[in-house]
Amino acid sequence: MHDGVFFEDHGIPTATVISSEFQRAARAQADALGAKAYQTVVVEHPIQPLTREEVRALADKVYDEIVRRLTA
Amino acid sequence: MSLLDPEVEGGAIEALYARGVTDGLPVVPPTRERVARAVAACGRARDAVIALVPPNYGPATVEKIAVNAVMAGCRPEYLPVVIAAVEAVCDEAFDLHGVSATTNAPAPLVVVNGPVRAALDINCGAGVFGPGWRANATIGRALRLVCVNVGGATPGVVSMSTLAHPGRYTYCIGEYEEASPWESLCVEHGFAPGRNTVAVLAADAPLGVYDHQSRTPEDLLATIAASLAVVSHHKMTHWGDTLLVLSPEHARIIGDAGWKKADARRWLWERLQRPVRELVPGKDGGEGLPEHVLRKFNDPATETTLIPKFRAPENLKLVVAGGTAGRFSAIVPGWTFSKASALVFRPIHTP
Amino acid sequence: MSEYLDPTASVAVPRKTAPRSASLDGKTVTLLDISKAKGDHLLDRIEELLRERARPKAIVRKKKPTFARPAPDGLRTEIVGATDVLIEALAD
Repeated sequence: MHDGVFFEDHGIPTATVISSEFQRAARAQADALGAKAYQTVVVEHPIQPLTREEVRALADKVYDEIVRRLTA
Repeated sequence: MSLLDPEVEGGAIEALYARGVTDGLPVVPPTRERVARAVAACGRARDAVIALVPPNYGPATVEKIAVNAVMAGCRPEYLPVVIAAVEAVCDEAFDLHGVSATTNAPAPLVVVNGPVRAALDINCGAGVFGPGWRANATIGRALRLVCVNVGGATPGVVSMSTLAHPGRYTYCIGEYEEASPWESLCVEHGFAPGRNTVAVLAADAPLGVYDHQSRTPEDLLATIAASLAVVSHHKMTHWGDTLLVLSPEHARIIGDAGWKKADARRWLWERLQRPVRELVPGKDGGEGLPEHVLRKFNDPATETTLIPKFRAPENLKLVVAGGTAGRFSAIVPGWTFSKASALVFRPIHTP
Repeated sequence: MSEYLDPTASVAVPRKTAPRSASLDGKTVTLLDISKAKGDHLLDRIEELLRERARPKAIVRKKKPTFARPAPDGLRTEIVGATDVLIEALAD
């Protein structure tokens, strides 16, 4: 979260992809830093036991949202 | 005085809990007077910034640390130890950011060396990890409250440990230097004998090692090695700093045979190596060596190259603590995979 | 509570997000791998999709030394100086 907030502060639109279990932590951390408008892109938890193909399928699912997060 | 009115104090305790700034146990309400006494006892300016506490990087001033120390129940004279511990966990090498946010379970274990142990009655003997000593109970607790209140490590919100462990209430021991056959942990790490220091380790809960029968270093260390082998996961390799807390009786078995700490460390490190073929994922569990390591071998399933459990013998940190009766030791696993946390020291500055 | 001192230390400062362009056409896109296992699989596929569906000027791959810490200052500065947008993955 610190990285994302840092890059946004420095003028770089950033999409941080996190798993669903960490949404609340990400929100709380961004808020604690004052970055109320900062948004993440969420994929379904868990990730670690997934195969390569299953992880790639998650990318297909969130690609459009990532692009939306980075553009006006 | 109205502040000590039991009803007012009771209301403050409830209000502090409701604000989410406690560990769930009642805290001592941090009145201006109590905090001022603690600040005065450490001999430092109240607005001096000791460290920025991750993950929020909130400024831990002497006064902010004192507020949390008062809440934890510290006596004013404990404050220099708490300050040193805060400084230590905020050292880059400790990676408090990771320690506070991870789904793993680490809590900072504070190990105190030097005459301050006697001066503050910090327990190093019987029941060293247990309750009953105000200094151990409240110094560790004060550090936790600083991590949460100044660092922002709110449990279940930012601090995402799946299980955590009871050391997150308090985790502070003294080394029983007087019962050790060897130089103390801090002297071993370059501090002059007689210096007061804290060492902090991002640590899991202690794992007891029982051995009543061994009478030689080789026998006892074989027992200890078998327990060290399961730290994190039985196939985990290249682990970092991990603490071995030897009871005085166990330490004597090794020391009386003329072994130095370095000899014990080397023996354990050499023993704790396993061939690649036993570490492949899917053999005795889905975990195993990571892909980038497996790629180095033609046929990992038959490969006999030995991989060490710990990166170097020096990662095995030995201290002596606990009651003088009892052949029990404890392993305190560090949260110390590559590029994560390491043991960090700070001198304690007493006024 | 006024007679009791505050144990917390707020660090919140009002922050804005960076201005966005209408599309990724002609942009340099940096994919930052936080070094958590499997994140590279996700970023590999995102890179493919970007090449298929957008017209970025360049796609740059970077990697943090460890997910357990924020990116080091040197890496942050390097990225800020050389990219238009950033995708960071995968925190789980």
